[in-house]
Amino acid sequence: MNNTNLFQIFKTSICLKLKTKLSFVLFLVVSIGFAQQKISGNITDANGLPLLGVSILEKNTTNGTTSDFDGNFTINTINSGSVLEFSYVGFKTIEIQLKDSDTNLKITLEEDLQKLSEVVVIGYGTQKRADVTSAVATVKSESFVQGNVKDAAQLIQGKVAGLSVSAPSGDPTTGTQISLRGTSSILGGTNPLILVDGVPGSLSTVAPEDIESIDVLKDGSATAIYGTRGTNGVIIITTKSGKNDMKSTIEYNGYASLTTIANTLDFLDANELRQKYDEGYTFNGANVEDFGASTDWVDEITREAYSQVHSLIFRGGNSTSNLTASLNYRDIEGIFLKSNNEKYTSRINVNHAMFDNKLKANVGIILSEQTFNALGDGSSFNPYIYRQALIRNPTEPVKNDDGSWYERDVYFYDNPVAYIQETIGQNRYRNTRFDMSLSYDILDNLTVKGLYTRKGNSNIRGFYQTKNHVSTVKSGQDGFASRGTDDYVGNYGQFTIDYKESFGAHKVTGLAGYNYEDNTNEGFWVNNRRFPTDAFTYNNIGSGQGLQLGEAGMGSYKNSNKLIAFFARVTYNYDNRYLFMASMRREGSSRFGADNKWGNFPGVSLGWRVDQEDFAENWDWLSNLKLRTGFGVTGINAGNNYQSLSGLTYGQYFLNNGQWVRQLVPSRNANPDLRWEKKEEFNVGLDFGFFDGKINGAIDYYNRTTKDALFNYSVPTPPYFYGSIAANVAEIKNSGLEFLLNITPVQNENFEWTTNLTYSTNTNKIVSLSNDEFQLTNDFFDQGYTGEPIQISTHRVQEGQPIGNFYGLKSVDIDDNGIWIIERPDGTLVSATEATTDDRRVLGNGLPKAYYSWNNTFKYKNFDLMVNLRGALDYQILNFSRMFYENPTISYNTLDSAYDQVYGKAVLNDVQRYVSYYVEDGDFLKIDNVTLGYTLPKNILKFTQSFRIYATGLNLATITSYKGIDPEVNREGLAPGNDERDKYPSTRTFSLGVNFTF
Amino acid sequence: MKSKIKTLKSLRLIASALTLSIAVVISGCTNLDEEVFSEVTESSFTPSEADIISVMASAYTPMRFVMGWQGYFDLQEEPGDMFITPTRPNGWDDGGTYKRMHFHEWTETQWQPRNTWINCFNGINSANRVILQIELGQLPVSEEQAAAIIAEMRGVRALYYSMLIDTHGNVPIIASYSDELPVQSSRADVYNFIVSELTEVIPDLSEVVDVSTYGRITKWAAYHILARVYLNAEVYTGTPQWANVIDACDEIINSDAFILSENYSDIFSTNNETNPEMVFAIPYDQIFAGQWNAHMKMLLPDHRLVFGMQAQPWGGSSCNPQFINSYNPNDKRLSDTWLMGDQLSATDGSVVMTLINEMPSIYDCEFTEGFRCGKYEIAPEANGSLSVDFPFLRYTDVLMMKAEALLRTDKSEEAATIVTQIRMRSFDDATTATVTGAELIGNTTVQYGTLDEEGNIDDFGDQTTVTYGRFLDELGWEFAAEARRRSDMIRFGVYQTKNWYNHTPKGDYTTLFPIGLEELNTNSNLDQNPGY
Repeated sequence: MNNTNLFQIFKTSICLKLKTKLSFVLFLVVSIGFAQQKISGNITDANGLPLLGVSILEKNTTNGTTSDFDGNFTINTINSGSVLEFSYVGFKTIEIQLKDSDTNLKITLEEDLQKLSEVVVIGYGTQKRADVTSAVATVKSESFVQGNVKDAAQLIQGKVAGLSVSAPSGDPTTGTQISLRGTSSILGGTNPLILVDGVPGSLSTVAPEDIESIDVLKDGSATAIYGTRGTNGVIIITTKSGKNDMKSTIEYNGYASLTTIANTLDFLDANELRQKYDEGYTFNGANVEDFGASTDWVDEITREAYSQVHSLIFRGGNSTSNLTASLNYRDIEGIFLKSNNEKYTSRINVNHAMFDNKLKANVGIILSEQTFNALGDGSSFNPYIYRQALIRNPTEPVKNDDGSWYERDVYFYDNPVAYIQETIGQNRYRNTRFDMSLSYDILDNLTVKGLYTRKGNSNIRGFYQTKNHVSTVKSGQDGFASRGTDDYVGNYGQFTIDYKESFGAHKVTGLAGYNYEDNTNEGFWVNNRRFPTDAFTYNNIGSGQGLQLGEAGMGSYKNSNKLIAFFARVTYNYDNRYLFMASMRREGSSRFGADNKWGNFPGVSLGWRVDQEDFAENWDWLSNLKLRTGFGVTGINAGNNYQSLSGLTYGQYFLNNGQWVRQLVPSRNANPDLRWEKKEEFNVGLDFGFFDGKINGAIDYYNRTTKDALFNYSVPTPPYFYGSIAANVAEIKNSGLEFLLNITPVQNENFEWTTNLTYSTNTNKIVSLSNDEFQLTNDFFDQGYTGEPIQISTHRVQEGQPIGNFYGLKSVDIDDNGIWIIERPDGTLVSATEATTDDRRVLGNGLPKAYYSWNNTFKYKNFDLMVNLRGALDYQILNFSRMFYENPTISYNTLDSAYDQVYGKAVLNDVQRYVSYYVEDGDFLKIDNVTLGYTLPKNILKFTQSFRIYATGLNLATITSYKGIDPEVNREGLAPGNDERDKYPSTRTFSLGVNFTF
Repeated sequence: MKSKIKTLKSLRLIASALTLSIAVVISGCTNLDEEVFSEVTESSFTPSEADIISVMASAYTPMRFVMGWQGYFDLQEEPGDMFITPTRPNGWDDGGTYKRMHFHEWTETQWQPRNTWINCFNGINSANRVILQIELGQLPVSEEQAAAIIAEMRGVRALYYSMLIDTHGNVPIIASYSDELPVQSSRADVYNFIVSELTEVIPDLSEVVDVSTYGRITKWAAYHILARVYLNAEVYTGTPQWANVIDACDEIINSDAFILSENYSDIFSTNNETNPEMVFAIPYDQIFAGQWNAHMKMLLPDHRLVFGMQAQPWGGSSCNPQFINSYNPNDKRLSDTWLMGDQLSATDGSVVMTLINEMPSIYDCEFTEGFRCGKYEIAPEANGSLSVDFPFLRYTDVLMMKAEALLRTDKSEEAATIVTQIRMRSFDDATTATVTGAELIGNTTVQYGTLDEEGNIDDFGDQTTVTYGRFLDELGWEFAAEARRRSDMIRFGVYQTKNWYNHTPKGDYTTLFPIGLEELNTNSNLDQNPGY
């Protein structure tokens, strides 16, 4: 359907309130069909275990039923001599020709190794795996990474080719970093759209234990229907839910974990420092002398962290209603003292069917509460504390004899233990989500559905530094308190019409819909100092005198945005051989300029199932062969609210007649031409399966071009008021290959081994950084920053080059005095003291060119073992820790390696510099997740349906030449590969868990 | 029959469903207008009378970059013979930025000149914006007010150009708020623009000198800027304007609106807003206008204990011993300007550290090596920003400009009288304070040449006599650390010829800074300054 016309028709009609839309389906009335012949039977798998929920359909009718808990079913056929179709997820679909004599059937379903009948969640609907024409990956809960995962993304770490999931921070309150098919946007980030049961959410909206499956839409033809935020892919999370006619169950899943720091940096300990003194080394600042104690500062602020997670899921249903309720509790400790994360998540979901299952209603609630200690003002962790522990003199005591904290007056040098113990802070977040949907089958092949979700998120924060904190001891603040709160409210509404029809060998489906979304954020904060007592902490902020002295602060804000979309999709299947899909989305965002709010996002894809062709009939070894190709356009709703608006704001103060008044200035360089970032993507893929699917997999090639990529572009002042403007300037290309291979080498009664390999490559290039309106005279700009005291940029973003290029001085040697020797771009050598910024060159790239993973599952009798390996190839990391601390001249504690000879020649005697010596190869292989489980035989525990115990380890071992803590470092933004020295170190976790269902 | 009814029912249902669905789609409406909450949109905002000063303020506030991080102070002092920022135990290599400033080897990405360009043009742009708003009648002002505001804004604009002509020279003259990409002008054109603008607006500017015009461009501030531009006219255009300097200075002197501050230190105190020397000050305030962090760069971390500060300073810059050694030991400006020797604790008077007048090398100095600037009062509980107002144009400068013009027009004794008058407040002994015309014409007392690690000269370099060198010294002693040393050294030909500390001359082209890479990058009308 032509979307523009649709839009115009809609426009001419009357305008009703959005919320009324959901109730209308209630008024619809239905009739009931009639049956003729009664067949009953029992369905089991190859091992004779009954199968629950198998769908039984009388072919060429809509008459069907499902099997019950014991695998039994009864169906009254409309016609005699019909064909019955038995289908079940994960099993091959079979057809049985009924004879008149049949009354009782014994059916055995065979497992489907290549999962062609598996239901794949695509945008606003589902498709059978066999019919999918774009690049879509599905991971079911049984294949999830197990143990103490950070969020939903870590469940599928290394399971989807082209999806990179990393956990660079060990902070229990931070999530994973995700990128799909490279960096396609500069300001839009790499975060995919996350849909939780069809509604935009986050990776932590629901607990990981509550997730049934995760589908990843990778290519543009698949994500075009989500237009707005489809560029970085779409991750669709489907929660565990009840089914009609299911026996009531209670599922418990719990584990206890021990987390340790994955790797520590080798700094001088007290004995080593004393040895340096003996060797005649002298130091400034921190290590100026021996203070007599022996303190392991990192040990003083870290711990073995113990965590526990408990999850309960209640499920059950009768013929028309079913219910799921879950309660999840996580109490996660971080490796730093006071670092933690405690979260309760509860979910209730009720499905109700009426009028012969034609009307389906759903009501759901998700609530969560999260609390964690704040060591920073508003944040879980303050990296400054970790830095202080690293650089502190190991001969200093933690406390003075009188029990007060031991402090010295050295530049940016504070006792890290005191910093933690004298800081009191807490953040609490509450999330709410109310869902309601109604769908009605107007005809057998026509369904309408309305959905409305109200989302909310609020937090309150408190932070206090006592009078024994350095903020008072050194800076005289006399206690510092801060409070703040943020609030988010969002509305999400969706209305769809689904249509499907078959004519002989032709199968057609159609979908049309409308989407509305608004988001409002607001909040305020205050801080104060000079408190009469520490007793109130942050709870009596008015008792401080900082406000009267002009030393208190406060602020508040509010902003909102809206997204509205119309969309449609058709699919066509001819004889299960030729597949076609086309979709169109027309979407508007309030963020863009008045004339550019709307964008069109078409997608089209084709598939050819070669194995279904007549000529392939005799190729017994071939079980699946499908060629796919697709093209799609997606957008990124990048940038911030109001960037297209000319706003005014009261800013800095000005002294007028003895009074300070605020200046009134434009809020920004408004860009009324602001528009959608558009990514065009071409994808071609091949799905294959051999030997009954014992070997199966997929290969995909993609080529994506992002046009009009948004960037905060430098502009001349004047004519502009500020030095940069958000403008659609850049063009970025990404291309790559993805391989997926699933093999089942052994499968027999007692032993099964399945193995899964993924490999993906990505090549990234910045095509252009200029357009007609905005021109760069040079074709580059610099990004990334070393921080104090080196104070220089780390990366260069340049036309024709990939994102992530390190740009600095290339060190090749060291002179006798310990000064770096730099190779200039023309090949000549120069002392680092003589080198200039013109001598910089590309030193490497921080984005891996390829990712791979190898996942193995072994099952022997009741034991199961899962071993996941994962790695990345061909990229570099700038090791900040070495750049700052592998230097004996600094006035803080150093790495042991600071006294090693550089290039085997001399000990470094230069200032801290950003040179290529610290740019290291990051290639790694991780033994990431190993899980050993044992499932108790059924007859041992009578009251349980299943009972499994398991032990698992996360981030177990890393094989790499990288010298830092973890080669998985930040890969986001325009300065990827910087391993910041203050980063919360990554962790290793061991868990023991139990899993049972009553 | 039944099935027929069913079909009819269904059709009705389809019809109603479709109608409803269409209605629903409309209902969410397709309105994507943005709703603003914590700002106002330009189109919907009507400025009140109280907003006039707020609008004008935007032309002045960029001036506070002068004492800010890598601001105008750094730009004028780091390349000179007074301030050195060597590598210290806590760093200060900072990617070599201060060494490049000292060596005059800056590149297009050097931040001090870029900050100067950005902030000056920000001020110019804001002044133009105010003028346009007045011209378009967007501000509720009377005709008389309008004329005064336009004159003041043109005066502020000229002030920014008086800085840019000195640092970058060939900058675009932008006299209106428009969408046009700026076109470059020659340094001579910029000179003519400043002179004609100031001459034109002076009659419309306020003559009042009190709290109502403090920190604002008055008639006297305009004359002061004019005199300063005339003083450097030979550098800017090749043609000196000494008589014009004297005329402009006389306008200020004859106004009787200013007198010399009795006490030198008072000019740099926290409460200097009432000092009688102030012709134009840039007001700073620890709470309201906290951009002054130059002291954080100049003091040692342990000066926190010496002054009882809240903040812990960063400890970078100190004074070149060659300049310290040029002072007459009886000159009170030595101790009024520099922190030397024992630094005593504010609480118990114990010695916190001892500063020495030795700086071995720009590549390696201890914290306590080199005297630190203590000219601007560090009040107890001072934090990362000072409340001292920066005396950008002060009356002593008016007198000294006049003296220099007299000196350079063969009236050295008249010049000496003025200089002596100024010296008197810094010497207890009138004889020592007295200076003669012949002395002022004579050579500088700064011993130029590069220093080895022991502080001995290892390369004398150009030792030719600096004409009026002693007058340059007087400027140095009086205006040390007042963000002007570079301009003075250029005018006396020292900047581009002499060796000092670790610096050797790089050529005449260094008297102008390069235009920033980003600025060139975004405006194809700009050509780089010669030599870069």
